[in-house]
Amino acid sequence: MISFQDVGLRYGAGPEILKNLNFQVDPGSFHFLTGPSGSGKTSLLRLLLLSMRPTSGRMEMFGKNTRELSKAEMMAMRQHIGIVFQEFRLLDHLTTFENVALPLVVRGEPESAYRSNVEELLEWVGLGHQMNVRPELLSGGEKQRAAIARAVIAKPDLLLADEPTGNVDPELSERLLHLFVELNRMGTTIILATHELQMLDKFRFPRLQLSDGGVNVTA
Amino acid sequence: MSLLDQLPFFGKKQAFSIVPRQTIAARTLALLVAIMTFLSCVTFGAVYLVQNSTLAWSSEVGREITVQLQPREDEQMLSDIRVAISLAKQTPGVANAFELTLEDSEELLTPWLGEQFDISAFHLPQLVIVQLSDPSEFDLEALETSLKATIDEIGIDTHALWRQQLNAMAGTVVVSGVLALVLILSATALAIIFATGGAMATNREIVDVLHFIGASDSYIASSFQDRFLAIGLQGGLVGGAAAITFFFVASTITNALLPQQSASQVELLFGQFTLGWMGFFGLLAMVAVVAVLTAITSRLTVHRFLAQIAP
Repeated sequence: MISFQDVGLRYGAGPEILKNLNFQVDPGSFHFLTGPSGSGKTSLLRLLLLSMRPTSGRMEMFGKNTRELSKAEMMAMRQHIGIVFQEFRLLDHLTTFENVALPLVVRGEPESAYRSNVEELLEWVGLGHQMNVRPELLSGGEKQRAAIARAVIAKPDLLLADEPTGNVDPELSERLLHLFVELNRMGTTIILATHELQMLDKFRFPRLQLSDGGVNVTA
Repeated sequence: MSLLDQLPFFGKKQAFSIVPRQTIAARTLALLVAIMTFLSCVTFGAVYLVQNSTLAWSSEVGREITVQLQPREDEQMLSDIRVAISLAKQTPGVANAFELTLEDSEELLTPWLGEQFDISAFHLPQLVIVQLSDPSEFDLEALETSLKATIDEIGIDTHALWRQQLNAMAGTVVVSGVLALVLILSATALAIIFATGGAMATNREIVDVLHFIGASDSYIASSFQDRFLAIGLQGGLVGGAAAITFFFVASTITNALLPQQSASQVELLFGQFTLGWMGFFGLLAMVAVVAVLTAITSRLTVHRFLAQIAP
């Protein structure tokens, strides 16, 4: 599903943030992305989200070289990717329900087709009572759960998550991780960036360990 | 939610609006479109009124000629007038001919010179008005020959010079008005480009999130252009309604509030302020033009914005 061959990334004329990355992510796998602050986790996620292109090397996603993708192809590929941002990025003028339904709306699905699914998912992440409020009235943890729900509602083939449990209590953190595992069991490939050691120890998945711009894959 | 917001102008109607409805940028754009529509409508209305009045004047004046007889002793004068009227009536294409008495002249001049003016103190030429049934059939040369053979010191005024000047003046006003209209619409387009650019920059976060969840540029553009068309229509209708109100109030003032004489003077100078059905439809057409201009301009601006930003 994902293949990196000597991939490098730099911002403008600055130093290389990521150097000679070589790894593969198979369909249906679950990887933790770890590394100290500033090691390039967010930059790697941006590459995987196709919002940046590598400055060197070859990067393939879903069997296609990302350098050769047109903008339309890139957008079509993104419909197979779910993303949970560290800073949530919910739209302030939409309710929780509308934010979560957004990926389905842009795919042209009618409300009657997705309403019950969205409501069910919101109940599951504990936001059933906050369905019709706007993000400004949600706590940090609630926003995080809404962002996760938005990322998974369309059952993406690949889910990227940047510190998805950073703003929730340990109990909910574990529940959310179980949600990711459940999605993984249903076939979704997951790359989850985190620095929570407790989580890494509890869920024994392969790790993409970033340090000094390079990556080390551990089983 | 207004009725306009519910209209599915382009593409598929969403369950909710992805673009925020009430933002400062949207309100500014609506106000801008309203002002520009008002200016466009008033300019259009003014041009329409001038052109209509000119056509009416020109047509009316073109169906009349004036025979001027120099003042003489009473009996001779009356005889000359009767002869002139008789000869005029015998000429092909003439519907009627009659004397313009001093009282008639006084009445015509009263709006300009006031009621205290005594016209009999002046030795003015006596006028015979010749009304034409069909200007194309009228034989001016024949009338002129027969009149000059019968009456001394006679003059015929076909008002050709006056009509020429009137048409030239009206043409200048119409061309100036059309030019002003083009400039207003150009300024509107430029202002919409800036307002749309501002609105897009304000909503950059929404555009980014939509991109991240896989929305195509055409989907995003469609969402924004629906909103901008609704804003254009709202602003256009407000501006158009204000312009219609303006013409209604102007008409009411000239017809009712001004004294009869002043109203006559204003009407003589500017024609009637009443637009009529054609003028009314013209104003509605201006509203539609501004709304379409808003939609097209904002669509192009949105596409340009999306093409410039990283996906």
